[in-house]
Amino acid sequence: MKNLISLKAGKFLTTAFGIILVSGISGGMAFAADAALPAGFKKGDLAPEPSADMIEAGKRVYFTKCVWCHGVDGAGDGPGADRLWPRPRNFNQGTFKIRHTASGELPLFDAKKPVPGQNDLFETVTHGLPGSAMPSWEGILTEEQRLQVLSFVTTQLVKDRKFTDKQSESQTILQLNDLKPIPASEESLKKGAELIVEKKCIECHGVEGRGDGNAFNLKDDWGFSIQPANWHKCWNFRGSRQDPYNVKNIFRTFSTGVNGTPMPSFADNSTVEERWHIANFVNSLCEREADGTPLSIDPLSDKPKVNFVLSSGVVEGEISADPENEMWTKRARRIIAMGGQITHKPRNFVNRIDDIWMKSVYNETHIAFMFQWDDRTKSVAEGKLPWPPTSVNIDVKEQDPKTGEEGSIAMHQNNYTVYNDAVAMETAVKWKDLPAPIKPRYLFGSNEQFPVDIMKWEADGSLRAFKGTGWDKDFEERDNYEESSKLLFSEWKNGRWTVIIQRPMGNKKDQDYDEDTFFEMGQYIPTVFFAWDGHNGDAGRKMAVSAFYYTFLEPPTPKEAYIYPVVIAFGVVLLEGWILTRRANKRKAKKA
Amino acid sequence: MKALMSVAAIIGAAGILLLAGMTVGIVPSNTVRLIEGYMPVQVIAELTLFVAGFTGISYMMSAMGMAFPRFWQGILFWAFLLIYLKFRVYPPIPFSVRAMYGTISLVAIFMWVSANEEDWNKFKQPIMNVLDAKTGGTKFLRIAYLVIIPILIGGFSYNAMVPKSEEPIELRTVHPAPPASTKVHGKTYTLQTSQNPYRVNPEGKYDQEYSNSNIVEQGMGRLMKPTSNPWDKDAQGYLKYVREGGEIFYQNCHFCHGDNLNGRGLHAFAFNPIPANFTDPGTIAQLQETFIFWRVSKGGIGLPNEGFPWASVMPPWEQHLTVDEIWKVILFEYWHTGYYPRTWD
Repeated sequence: MKNLISLKAGKFLTTAFGIILVSGISGGMAFAADAALPAGFKKGDLAPEPSADMIEAGKRVYFTKCVWCHGVDGAGDGPGADRLWPRPRNFNQGTFKIRHTASGELPLFDAKKPVPGQNDLFETVTHGLPGSAMPSWEGILTEEQRLQVLSFVTTQLVKDRKFTDKQSESQTILQLNDLKPIPASEESLKKGAELIVEKKCIECHGVEGRGDGNAFNLKDDWGFSIQPANWHKCWNFRGSRQDPYNVKNIFRTFSTGVNGTPMPSFADNSTVEERWHIANFVNSLCEREADGTPLSIDPLSDKPKVNFVLSSGVVEGEISADPENEMWTKRARRIIAMGGQITHKPRNFVNRIDDIWMKSVYNETHIAFMFQWDDRTKSVAEGKLPWPPTSVNIDVKEQDPKTGEEGSIAMHQNNYTVYNDAVAMETAVKWKDLPAPIKPRYLFGSNEQFPVDIMKWEADGSLRAFKGTGWDKDFEERDNYEESSKLLFSEWKNGRWTVIIQRPMGNKKDQDYDEDTFFEMGQYIPTVFFAWDGHNGDAGRKMAVSAFYYTFLEPPTPKEAYIYPVVIAFGVVLLEGWILTRRANKRKAKKA
Repeated sequence: MKALMSVAAIIGAAGILLLAGMTVGIVPSNTVRLIEGYMPVQVIAELTLFVAGFTGISYMMSAMGMAFPRFWQGILFWAFLLIYLKFRVYPPIPFSVRAMYGTISLVAIFMWVSANEEDWNKFKQPIMNVLDAKTGGTKFLRIAYLVIIPILIGGFSYNAMVPKSEEPIELRTVHPAPPASTKVHGKTYTLQTSQNPYRVNPEGKYDQEYSNSNIVEQGMGRLMKPTSNPWDKDAQGYLKYVREGGEIFYQNCHFCHGDNLNGRGLHAFAFNPIPANFTDPGTIAQLQETFIFWRVSKGGIGLPNEGFPWASVMPPWEQHLTVDEIWKVILFEYWHTGYYPRTWD
């Protein structure tokens, strides 16, 4: 009897296994049928059409918030469009960059359910597109308002395609949540580094990934200039979804490609594993703290947090001219955020340089600054520039802002006269005499009473010193200051400039305090940075500019810092003794 | 009573867990967002909720026989306030201001624990116990305090004396005193008597009531009224000029003041302090249109000497725009934020 049962059980088990086996095979077969799809993708269904109410409500949102850049017909030609780079999206063709769907397909959008990872357009509106003018609308528009406006855009403004047309549209969806990331081990990074060469990523993105490969010959589907992403600034990745150090975003972009741009999908010619290695490697290139942790990102701007004090460290002996010297590599760096100079003509609406990394050291006589910034091209002006170096009101044309017309920024983007790449720093002269709240103006000082000391380096190798007395006043040359300053190092390599300049610390006795800044230890010296991208037609006031920072020379620790705390601690011990005795006496008195 | 208190207790516990999760990073730090423009009200409302929650928790615990000593209640509540101010409020408040809030709340807590003799005795009981050190536990604590306090204070004073750099706080006068009149493109405008020539009804008459009835609606999203679309082809008067003003805004101003006029434009992150947020009720909502006209025309460089600090790169827009364009931009800013300009009467 027992045997029978066990036999039956055995049969049962075998059958069960058989079913599992068969289903396994059929599963395998289903997978084989899907083999036409790229690895990691699955077929999906088109979402239903949003309700007429949603569309009508969305129109109201669109004409309040979006029309200003995207235009009345959604053709990406609103009033703001011509002064933006990258330009606002033209919705008409249904070409969207950030998707989970296969290359060329429409993005995921369903007016009903904003499920994370299943609603590309909703996430784009929610998180914005960092590195462009598209802001995050979370906290400004409600979730429903975001779905409404997308209902309007996808049904009314996407004109050449239809989100619900089963004949012409399909959805092949990247199953990002089911694909387990491969840890970014050393081995994975090494494979990734080899793969970006093999897959020819570096042809556009450059050997070190700074987007300097084929920087000035790329165009998008509409013929507007476009540049490869700089992998070192992941916070500017359009698809970063306000989570720039997340490797999944890179995996997604690499798998689906960026529609409308030269960035293809690599889904067909790379395995899922290869894609993780590449994503890991690209992610590893993004700027990080010295200890390897991600930079902290300011949630208000989606850019790295800025600290406005540039501290300079003391070194013994001569300042090294080699950026690889310990003197420099050990120093902490500071990010200087740069915006376009749009205060005075000629204005710079599309500044290509948006940050500079600064380091500074000083010894007994000199202070040195190391500038490092990303610039896709090394630009040196051909021939002599038509204006003297001291000239401020120079004639660089401010562009006509009409779409399509010769001379609009969008048309001009790759077509400027090339000037010199350059950086400059401005420090306040007589900063000690400034009453507490007063600082000179950002641009080239305020007047004769509050002048600024300007040092400017240009890619032709010159290092010049000027005195600035106002935004529209020509610079004045400073006698013999250029001779006492020194360009220690300058090099453009794979999309990054490194420039080290050294200048006298100055002191009241030996230096002309009316022209030169006196860098005093332990004091906050107002400092502004300027940068020019020669290939962007930057010259004169057409430049990138920072806010006021403060150069701070770290003083050595005073002896008192070791003595007083001990004295104070001892005092506290005495005080404690006094309290305890008092309490004990009181209790004794009570008892008595 | 008990039901009410248990609801409060649940709210309090949930709030604490959420706040702790957001601070440590288990829950995404933007789970509960600070709504733009309403932050002060929101912070006060949140704190009120927390106080109600704590009252509930404390009541429930004593009801369950696990009464929490007043001494620890006071200390924990103070610690909570400090943590809330440091981690919850964004953009961060400088330490000096937090120290002020901390001191004020400390005083308030002292007043609370010493409201009557009995409470005060209860409160100081644990301190006295340690001072007297009658049991093994308190003896150990007393010795520990004797050692730790001098070390801590010594350490703090060392920290305070070691030279280090702190970011100086950048201030900006939000509403510098305006001049009586301003001269733009050769014409003098008296601030008290000038009017925005584009605040007109479709018949072309100055009509503040008409324009105010066509601005965007307050509330989440600040959307236009469905019947007041400036992009309507037939829009006349006020709404037509709003559209023209918007075109100028999105060619010139949004780079700093932002697509949503909240001071977070493309270049805003590079500036310190960041550009003015027009959706904040403390900016344009407090001012007359002629004041804005003066500020827009003259920019940061035109700030009077009393307008220190000069931390503004606001362009003198008279260099780039015509008088008409400046008035239209102002019209647009009020339309888009849904605020009424102040008037002189």
